[in-house]
Amino acid sequence: MPPPPEALSYTLQPLATLSPPSNSRTWQSAPHPNLPLVGTACSDRTVRVYSLTSFTLLHTITGGHKRSVRSVSWKPGVKGQSVLATGSFDASAGIWRRDERGLEEQDYTRRRIGGDGDEGEEEEDDDYQFSCILDGHESEIKSLSWSPSGQYLATCSRDKSVWIWEELEDDNFETIAVLQEHDGDVKCVAWHPEEDLLASASYDDTVRLYREDADDWVQVALLDGHKMTVWWVEFEGSWMTRKDFRAHRDGLTEEQTRHVELSERSGPRLATCSDDCTVRIWHREPKEGTGRASTNTGIPSIIRSMAVDEDWVQEVVLPQRHERAIYSVSWSQKTGMIVSAGSDGKILVYKERWKTQTPNGASVGDEDTRMVENSQLTEWVVVAELFSAHDVFEINHVCWAARSDKGRRSEDEEVILSTGDDGEVKVWVLNELNIGELKGK
Amino acid sequence: GLFHDLIPQYNYLSDPFDHPVSASDSDDDSVEDIDEQEIYDLISSISDPEHPLSLGSLAVVNLPDIHILPPTSPYSSISTVLVEVTPTITHCSLATVIGLGVRVRLEQALPPRFRVDVRIKKGTHSTDEAVNKQLGDKERVAAALENGTLMGVLRKMLSTCE
Repeated sequence: MPPPPEALSYTLQPLATLSPPSNSRTWQSAPHPNLPLVGTACSDRTVRVYSLTSFTLLHTITGGHKRSVRSVSWKPGVKGQSVLATGSFDASAGIWRRDERGLEEQDYTRRRIGGDGDEGEEEEDDDYQFSCILDGHESEIKSLSWSPSGQYLATCSRDKSVWIWEELEDDNFETIAVLQEHDGDVKCVAWHPEEDLLASASYDDTVRLYREDADDWVQVALLDGHKMTVWWVEFEGSWMTRKDFRAHRDGLTEEQTRHVELSERSGPRLATCSDDCTVRIWHREPKEGTGRASTNTGIPSIIRSMAVDEDWVQEVVLPQRHERAIYSVSWSQKTGMIVSAGSDGKILVYKERWKTQTPNGASVGDEDTRMVENSQLTEWVVVAELFSAHDVFEINHVCWAARSDKGRRSEDEEVILSTGDDGEVKVWVLNELNIGELKGK
Repeated sequence: GLFHDLIPQYNYLSDPFDHPVSASDSDDDSVEDIDEQEIYDLISSISDPEHPLSLGSLAVVNLPDIHILPPTSPYSSISTVLVEVTPTITHCSLATVIGLGVRVRLEQALPPRFRVDVRIKKGTHSTDEAVNKQLGDKERVAAALENGTLMGVLRKMLSTCE
């Protein structure tokens, strides 16, 4: 007997478990920005690179780190090669490269001509080559992330600092900032999709934002609201107002139209999750004098002395359905849906919608914890809930990736990847149930 | 047994990839036996890091401060073990190490369906909240277990178990 489906409009179905799994805890997985690959950070000091087409292990990156690899991030915008950054409990970050030029052609040739044998030599050529090490942190690196342009790499550590590195030329990294605002371990760093704006989440229960001001990186906002350690932070995708439920503009009320305009002016929002069992969404208050809709807000313009400061406010707490620490939250860049997972082993998927539009009346009236009111015009509802996704084990990370196997149903289809204490990375498809509303599609 | 009525029969929910049902059944049997006394027995024999005495004999761990919480949903098979430890003195700097020893011992000895929460008993330590936060932080605990020096201390503490 599955969980009560009244308010749930999707189910998560298992598609594959990446094979073979690691035999120890896996921490985090990062889908490649343009190839059907995923890199997984493993506690056995390795990174495993799997195919999202065949769901099999392609490479194991070993020999670099002396302790757990905690975090991996692919450098975006690189042509002809793959560049992977790895952050480890050994306090160092590693940069790894693999030539991807004419990869497919090469493979075909080799398979046809070489046929049998020489597998060993080929593997060596095909492997990820260690390229350089970034030293500086005093204790475990917890997370690292490339900026969308690939210009910067941010790292963070138990030493309470966030470092920003810039790659001046191949393998020559310079430290351009050491940010020491947090009072505790920094658990996660994430970049804004359009701006050079960095967010960090911490053991001190806060989230901080930084940007460059006159050659110095400075804190521009402090997000205070979580009651316990903030484990993960992630920005919303670019221009989601044109992709998610807000893209359908016909029949919107004046208020709703204005809401969309304001959303576009403030830009991508921020999602955070915490030991306090909540997922929170934050947005930037649009500044006076910015954006095209700024002339008719009716609010007097105040010239701020600290022009670089940003005003980020908590928009909503998502429906609270996790019972233990939430380790990871991820925002789909295709649909705007959010997925979360953590210590209770559950995977939850949430969707935002206009508050006045209830799909079929089924969930109205009961004391529905799936619907959390917010002062805005929208609400988030849990649309899928899966218990024991990794059997009895904790889930350390969850994210969206483009679906690339031959069962793919559309260009834009996504899968959810969950990474667990059981050493497994699981691939899930989201199936819409045939009840309730069918919006747009 | 204690959990018999709480553990869901529909095992397919626990494992979407359909392990044989018989395997799950035998798991259930072994879980039934675990009670507070058994948890106490697992941790009372841990040695204090600075005395040649066990945590049980020092009353650092006490049976009434051990709680087993059953799964909160019929769709979940995850139980929680909550252990509150009482440090010998309120400024005991080794409270974190003792708590870590208890957590590691239970995580190694119990089946993975148990979540282990170790806390300092309220009011018994000057910095109990800070210690609790550390003990509850999975990532810190994992990193501690990769620290050779600390592992040496823990191994010594746990060597008197079994």
